Amino acid sequence: MRDLVQNVYQAKDTETALNLLNQHQSEAKILAGGTDLIIQMREGNVSPPVLIDISSIHETREIKEQSNTIELGSTATFTDIEKHILFNHCLSAIAKAARSIGSPQIRNRATVGGNLCNASPAADMLPPLLAMDAMVVLKSKHQTRVLPLSEFVTGKEQTLLQVDELLEKIRFQNLTSNEGLGFSKLGIRNALAIARLSMAVYLEWDENHMCKNVRIASGALGLNAQREWDVERFMKGKHLNNSLFAEVAALLEESTMKRLAGRNTMNFKRYAVQGVFKQALDEALEGMDRRKDS
Amino acid sequence: MKQRGKGIGCTFYGTGYGNGFPDVSRARVQLEKDGAVTVYVGATEVGQGAKTVLSQIAAEALGLSMEDVRFVCENTDETPDAGTAAASRQTYNTGNAVKRTSEALIREIKNAVANHWQKEDVQRIKVDRGKVYHPDDQDKTLSFREVALLAGESKIVGEDSFTAMTTQLDDETGQGNPYWPYTFNVYGIEVEVDTDTGKVAIIKAVCAQDVGRAVNPKLIEGQMDGGFAMGLGYALMEDINLSKGKMKHDRFSNYLIPTAMDIPDLEKLIIESPESTAPYGAKGIGEPVMLGVAPAVLNAIYDAVGVRMTTIPVTPDNLLVAIKEMDRKGQPHEK
Repeated sequence: MRDLVQNVYQAKDTETALNLLNQHQSEAKILAGGTDLIIQMREGNVSPPVLIDISSIHETREIKEQSNTIELGSTATFTDIEKHILFNHCLSAIAKAARSIGSPQIRNRATVGGNLCNASPAADMLPPLLAMDAMVVLKSKHQTRVLPLSEFVTGKEQTLLQVDELLEKIRFQNLTSNEGLGFSKLGIRNALAIARLSMAVYLEWDENHMCKNVRIASGALGLNAQREWDVERFMKGKHLNNSLFAEVAALLEESTMKRLAGRNTMNFKRYAVQGVFKQALDEALEGMDRRKDS
Repeated sequence: MKQRGKGIGCTFYGTGYGNGFPDVSRARVQLEKDGAVTVYVGATEVGQGAKTVLSQIAAEALGLSMEDVRFVCENTDETPDAGTAAASRQTYNTGNAVKRTSEALIREIKNAVANHWQKEDVQRIKVDRGKVYHPDDQDKTLSFREVALLAGESKIVGEDSFTAMTTQLDDETGQGNPYWPYTFNVYGIEVEVDTDTGKVAIIKAVCAQDVGRAVNPKLIEGQMDGGFAMGLGYALMEDINLSKGKMKHDRFSNYLIPTAMDIPDLEKLIIESPESTAPYGAKGIGEPVMLGVAPAVLNAIYDAVGVRMTTIPVTPDNLLVAIKEMDRKGQPHEK
């Protein structure tokens, strides 16, 4: 017999939620959209005595931009994200990642905060937000911490979130005129598909098409979504042309073969990683062409 | 890079249990006291439209409109066995039984009326649209309701069955008649293969299905859409992932079937060529409509990228590795 939930609280504001978390500590689980948690509970993988429902907190659902910094509230749903005006032009890769998740019903419930805190290796929002070098704002009753997302996720379904903490929002710089972001996800089907592989590429270039800065993040290519630091270092300062892309593809293949050695997905992913990277890169470069035209 | 290709898959399918196995459908048709007719037949309705099609066949044979035919198939206590809803056999096999049984009821009605009209010649009695009449004598006309009353407390009933005509194959000569009838199907499918990821998208699909006679064209189109989706899942996605005798993909979160987002509009062509042994020429198409999909998809993939896939499902995993291995061996894509 599965342990039953004893109490469910619905918090109407962050303060209430933080007080409840402080009170119940590890007894409590935060319920946002529930699209991961409820399944885990049904399968008996987790059985929290206390649930704190944060899905009706308005203050954490906001998506806004202030002096070039975008703040993405943790309880914003994927539907909120895919429809938000901030993500329908230069940052459309973020909307695309949101749109690639589940089905409309799931996107209406599931939240970006849940996606990050659940930290599945295939979490769809992790690669684009990692590539944007996002920071996470973690709140508890007594303190507020701000961490880079790349440090926050530490392993498969592992994060630095403490038992009394709530992910309040995600913060990152909006793109400026010589930057672009691309996202590509390979799934077996066109909806309700968990990523077999995903990749996000952030690029900054100069007027001579030299790569001034680059951030690459992969999903489902190892135990957790992660930055591809080696590839980034290799690309920086080089000219963005086809011979560079071929070298990068070879580098990605090599690192994938090393990382997935002994796993039966290796033979597929060593090739797929190049194709998925190319699609994400092409999308990031679209920004370059678009701005060139305008 | 994205490369397109076209493929065709042609199949023929033998209806029913086959190979001389007793393939029997039974039915009972009864004239009720209110003049309506009830068809009792143990043919399971599983969403394929058996109730609709068999009611249509009964109505046609009885000369009644659909509203005057009641159809009971749910209760095994009341219904004679018509075999399984399997082998695409209900329209053909049970359709024949319902037609023959309805004709038997008409004969019983004529007999009862002939008796009532003082030994009138049965051959001269006509039945049409719920009325029994004598072509030469206007006074001699009875409604089905009036006929039902002639039987008093008992009811006028027609009973009959149909057995498919197949024989077991001779082990020595391989001769025999393993199935009857056969149904023919062709799919034409255009795909787009992403050679960087191994993903296959269906661009266009056409299905031509031999149906004998289209008893209900809308239901046939529904079956074609369903069979296409099923065949597409079979070709591209559905993988039980068997490992040491255990199904590792044992739930719909990992055993993937296509969603509406994966299925393009299917162009549907119904080919009518009545089958002489079938009820009004109609044959079953439940399974045939999915058979041609996988061969057509695999042929289209071959046409697109020159890779001949010999196992299904052709997931991105399998196809991408096959494409890259062919590239490495230096064989040019055939297209």
